[in-house]
Amino acid sequence: MMTFIGAGKNRLGSKPASLAVGLALGASAIAGTFASPLLAETMVEAEEAEVNTIEPPKPNWFFVRGGWGSAGSSIFDAGTGKMIGMVSTSRDSDLAIDPDGKFYYVAETMWTKVNRGTRMDLVSVYDSKTLKLVTEIPTPGRLIIGGFNTNFVLSDDGKTAYDYNFDPASSVNVIDMVKRKFVRAIELPGCASLIPNPGVGFSALCADGTLATVAVKGATQDITRTAEFFDAAADPIFSNVVYDRKKKLAVMVSYTGQVRTVAMGAAPVVSAPFSIQEAGGMRAADVKPLDVAWYPGGMQPTALHRPTGMLWVLMHKGEYWSHKEGAEEIWGLDLATKKVVKRYPVKGHPRNIEITQDDAALIMVNGMENNAMIIDSKTGETKHEIENAGGGLITVVEPK
Amino acid sequence: MIRFNPDAAGEKMLRRLAGGTSRRGILSRLGAALVAAPVFPLLPVSRAEAAKPDRSPEAKTAFARTAQTKDDTKCNYWRYCAIDGSLCTCCGGGMHTCPAGSEPSPVSWVGSCINPDDGKAYMIAYRDCCGKPTCGQCGCDNTDRETQLYLPQLNNNVIWCFGTSSMEYHCSTAMMIGAA
Repeated sequence: MMTFIGAGKNRLGSKPASLAVGLALGASAIAGTFASPLLAETMVEAEEAEVNTIEPPKPNWFFVRGGWGSAGSSIFDAGTGKMIGMVSTSRDSDLAIDPDGKFYYVAETMWTKVNRGTRMDLVSVYDSKTLKLVTEIPTPGRLIIGGFNTNFVLSDDGKTAYDYNFDPASSVNVIDMVKRKFVRAIELPGCASLIPNPGVGFSALCADGTLATVAVKGATQDITRTAEFFDAAADPIFSNVVYDRKKKLAVMVSYTGQVRTVAMGAAPVVSAPFSIQEAGGMRAADVKPLDVAWYPGGMQPTALHRPTGMLWVLMHKGEYWSHKEGAEEIWGLDLATKKVVKRYPVKGHPRNIEITQDDAALIMVNGMENNAMIIDSKTGETKHEIENAGGGLITVVEPK
Repeated sequence: MIRFNPDAAGEKMLRRLAGGTSRRGILSRLGAALVAAPVFPLLPVSRAEAAKPDRSPEAKTAFARTAQTKDDTKCNYWRYCAIDGSLCTCCGGGMHTCPAGSEPSPVSWVGSCINPDDGKAYMIAYRDCCGKPTCGQCGCDNTDRETQLYLPQLNNNVIWCFGTSSMEYHCSTAMMIGAA
């Protein structure tokens, strides 16, 4: 049916005169039996095909990836729940938003023959108003995975991108986003989950339980590591670390619910951990089997409302090693007081959460069913339910 | 608690790989990943614990307590304790057999799963079959000792189609490597 309508529009556009005559004849043949206004109605002017533009990225927009293996990031207005447009994020790509709001950057991989042929890795640059491709920046490779906000990160000024590669050795591609040119790759064995480190370069979580900091200095770099502060095999920190650009602060949550903040810098300072369960007035969760407790879980289990320092965490009841399970509740953790101040029941077992960075502080959650909900973080009230919004990673505009 | 030993996992995975593939390119890249000193934490405590494995129900994960050994097309089949994806046994393949037209990845992530019949833990390599569209049958996502991207050999989100002619993911097998 869509094809027929589309073809009809083309024909209408190419032969308007003959069609108008046909309509007029048809109308005159029945004019004797029907009222004459019908003739006027059939003489409407044919519409032209147009293309919309949209506003630059706004603080109350959610960018929602389709489910695993699907492409496209749908943009939703948190206030209305309506779709604004879509960024062309191909399957398993990573999206980053230019801090100046002029561009969307998509780190992606494709092949000359779709699923085979010559592999091409690149960062595609899209204009934020037209959503049209501006240019492509070839890169030597990247981890094809999607679903993480720490594989493709921008420096706070937006001038440099760090794109994680795994083939299957670990390295990070440094990309000059001003010259739009790949600069070089930095080997970083045993580390992943990139965090911007302003004025320094970037940091990354490592398998030996440290945080590596890569100070990028022209053609060289210094790589330093913190002391070991977590056990990557026994109680891993979720790769989807959240980062506050203004405070230069990263927030990390482990499988058991240990919360740490990291003051970024040349020598990052990792805070002492505290238990989210203890912050909620219960005993800390453990790694032992048969110990049922509230645990954080999902793919993107935490969202930070940067202006208020509230960390929103997807929580479920279960045993340890259930870290991908969808949520039964959303907990609001005040990082300053280390207290859980809100607990909202949530349906649909969501696995991803984000929050708008404006005063409205609206939460979006989604999950395996590809449906999303927009929830008022102040009241817990569900404002919008959006079917087929997408079940993947959610991105918001970060305050500059 | 029984802790999984990534050192042993990496070693066994590499040995298996060295015996089963001639792809020098992928070997050298994997070698770079494994040789890197800080990649695999040394866990003397884990090794000490491994010498006296506790197989009591109290020590087993929720998956291990309910795992079965009869039906390898179900997510709770014992070898699938850390699998993520479509089971190749549901896609025209087998436990260590890729469906027709697909290609096994020479590398994989691993899990340490307990066989309820003998109570012993075994190292399982989850090798992806690649080069065809996602099978879509029998989707499972089990997470025993499954970690994050900085410990990739224990992470089940990575598409492990490295060194294959196509990186398209089709399904996942669960090959026995040996005793854990």
